[in-house]
Amino acid sequence: MSKKSSGVDRREFLVGVSALSLSAPLLAYTKAPKRQKAQVVIVGGGYGGVTTAKYLKKENPGLDVVLIEERPFFMSCPMSNHFLAGLMELTPLCFSYNVLEAKYDIRFVNDKVLGVELDKRVVRTSSGYIAYDYLVLSPGIDYDIEDKPFYRDSLVFNPPAFKPGSEHIYLKRLIEDFEGGDIVITVPTPPYRCPPAPYERAALIASMIKRDKLKAHIYFIDANERPPVNSEGFLTAYYDLYKDIATYVTSAQVRDVDVHKKVVSTSHGNFKYEIANIIPPMKASSLLEDAGLLKKGQKWVEVNPLTFETSVRNVFVIGDASQSYLPKSGYAAHSEGKLVAKLINARLRGKEIKEEFLQMICYAMVSDREAIMTETAFRYDAVSKRFIPTHREDNQRKESTARRYEEWARGLWRDLFG
Amino acid sequence: MDRRSFIKTCTTIAVASMVDAKVFSEVLAQQKDSMFQAYKRALLIKEDGSPLKESDLKPHETYIFFYPHVATPCYLLNLNEEIPAQDISLKDGKSYKWPGGVGSKKSIVAYSAICAHQWSYPTKGYSFINYYPPDKPSDTTKKAGIIQCCAHLALYDPKKGASVIDGPAEAPLATIVLQEEKDGFYAIGVLGKDQFSQFFETYRADLRQQYGSTAKAKEPVDKCTVMEVEKYVKEVIRC
Repeated sequence: MSKKSSGVDRREFLVGVSALSLSAPLLAYTKAPKRQKAQVVIVGGGYGGVTTAKYLKKENPGLDVVLIEERPFFMSCPMSNHFLAGLMELTPLCFSYNVLEAKYDIRFVNDKVLGVELDKRVVRTSSGYIAYDYLVLSPGIDYDIEDKPFYRDSLVFNPPAFKPGSEHIYLKRLIEDFEGGDIVITVPTPPYRCPPAPYERAALIASMIKRDKLKAHIYFIDANERPPVNSEGFLTAYYDLYKDIATYVTSAQVRDVDVHKKVVSTSHGNFKYEIANIIPPMKASSLLEDAGLLKKGQKWVEVNPLTFETSVRNVFVIGDASQSYLPKSGYAAHSEGKLVAKLINARLRGKEIKEEFLQMICYAMVSDREAIMTETAFRYDAVSKRFIPTHREDNQRKESTARRYEEWARGLWRDLFG
Repeated sequence: MDRRSFIKTCTTIAVASMVDAKVFSEVLAQQKDSMFQAYKRALLIKEDGSPLKESDLKPHETYIFFYPHVATPCYLLNLNEEIPAQDISLKDGKSYKWPGGVGSKKSIVAYSAICAHQWSYPTKGYSFINYYPPDKPSDTTKKAGIIQCCAHLALYDPKKGASVIDGPAEAPLATIVLQEEKDGFYAIGVLGKDQFSQFFETYRADLRQQYGSTAKAKEPVDKCTVMEVEKYVKEVIRC
C-alpha cells in the first residue's frame, strides 16, 4: 500500500480499521473522505486517464495526482475483438490499477463521479468532494440513444461491446453458444469509438463461421457507404474470404430493433437474426453535459486542438469524449494523455510547451491470421488553422501485420502499466 | 543518499575500475550531464570465438550482440561511410557528445536494440525493430538508412546517434560505446538514455523463461558474440 493510498492517511486508516473491525466489513478503505484536495484530478481510468496520471508522476514524482474510475480494474478495448473471436484470452487485456499506486504513488479512487462543479473546482463522487487545481476529464463515450428508445432494449439483449467489461463477456458468450443461423452486425456513422473495429469484428466472426463450418450467414449493415478506413483492405478481404457467408449492406439506417422477435428493421429491409451485435451511435459521456462542457446539440466537447484544454482554463478533455483531429481510439487517447501531462507539468513550472502533433496508427484483423493497418501523421497549418493529415494505408493483408498489431497493443500496455 | 543509489554508485565505481582508465576518462570527460555509464569491457567476438574484425562486418548488414547484460540486445552496423561525432540533445534538456563511428573508415556504430518508445526488442521469435539499408526502404514510411520499429513506427537515424527522425519515441536509442584496440573491438559502456530498467521490469516473465531468472538475465557480459540478426531471430518483421 502506498503512503497516500486512496487519500486516507495511515493514521486515519488505522483508526478506521480498528473502529470498523469489530463490527463491520472493511468498507472504508477505498472511500474518499468527505472532502479532499489534489493538485491534479483525472476522471476516467481508460487509455487517456491512466497515461496522463502516469506521465504526470513520472516527470514530477512529488505531484499530488488522483485518478477516479468506477471500474475496479482496467480492461482494454483495443484487442478485444481478438478476445471475442477466441484469438486471445481476457487476462492479457486486464490490468490492476494497484500498480499505479504502488509504483507511481497515484491515488486511485474506485468510485463513480456524479458531477463536476467547474466554478468551485471540485469533482463530486458518491463518497465526497475532491477539489483540484487541474482537471483532466477522460470519461469516454456514452451510447447516443435518447431519441431512439429501441436501442435501450437492444443494449440488454444485444451487447454492443464498445464499452469495456461485461458487454464483451456477454457478447463472447453469445458467439460461443452460436450454432448456426443469421448474425446481424450494425455500424453507425462516425464519429464513434475506434473506426475500424466493427469491420474487424465482422471479419473475425465470419472467419469463425468459416473455421467451424457453421451453417450461418452474416448481414453486415453499415450506415456508411464503405469502411471509413482501410476500405480497400476490408472490401478485398470480405470478397476474397467471406463472399459466400456474408452480405455487406451499405448506407443502411437502423430504424428499429425488436429484441423479442429478433428482427432489425433498416432502410434496406428487415433482417431476422439468431444473434446480433447492434452498435448504437455514440456521444461524449453525459458527465460532460452535466458539467456544462457540452453546448446544446453538441455530441463531443470542443477543445483547443493543440492542447486539449477546454474553454475553462486548466480543465482538459481528452480521449474519445473530445472533438479532435484524431480519430477516437485508445491509441489517440494515450498520445493525448502524454501531451496533457507534459503541458500541466510545464505550466506548474510556469512554462508552456512547444506544439506537438500526434500520430495515429490503427491495425485491424481481416482473418484469424492476417491484418491490415493505417498510419496518419498530422501537420498544423497555422493560416487555415486546420490539421493536414498524411494518410498511409497498408491494405495488403499479412500475417506479419497481425504480429505487429499484437506488439502495438502490448507496447501500449507496457507503457500504461509497466 | 539512499541505500539503492549508494549500492548503485559502488557498483559503478567497481565496474569503472575494471575499465581502461584512459579510455574511460576520455569518453566521460566529454559528457556534461553524466549520460555515459561505464560497464565491464567486453570483446566483440565471432561465433567461432575469435575476435571480430572490421572485414567481418558486411556493409549495411544488421548484426546482433548482447551488452552490457546477457539479455540486453544491441545492433551493430557498418554504415560504409564515415559517421562523424556530434552533439545529441534530449527533450528533457540534457545533452551528450556522441562519438561517431569506429573502425578504419569510422563507419561502425552500435546501439541498444530496445526501442526507446515502448521497449520492443528482438527476441528469438520476432524482431519488430530493424535497420533498413539504403537500397531496402520501408514499405510503410518509404524511408531508408534508418532504424525503424514496426509496432508504432518510431524512426531513428543510425548516422546521428540514433536520434529520433519521426514517430512517437521521445529519446534516441542508447549508444553502445565501442573502442577499437589492437586485438579487436570492445564494448565499454552505454551512452544516452538507456531503457534497461524498464526492460527488466517489463519482461520479467519472458526473461525468467529464457534465462532462468531476472538476476541471470542481468548478468554482465565480458565477451559479446556477434551474429547476423537473422541467425538469432526466427522472423525479422519489416514494414
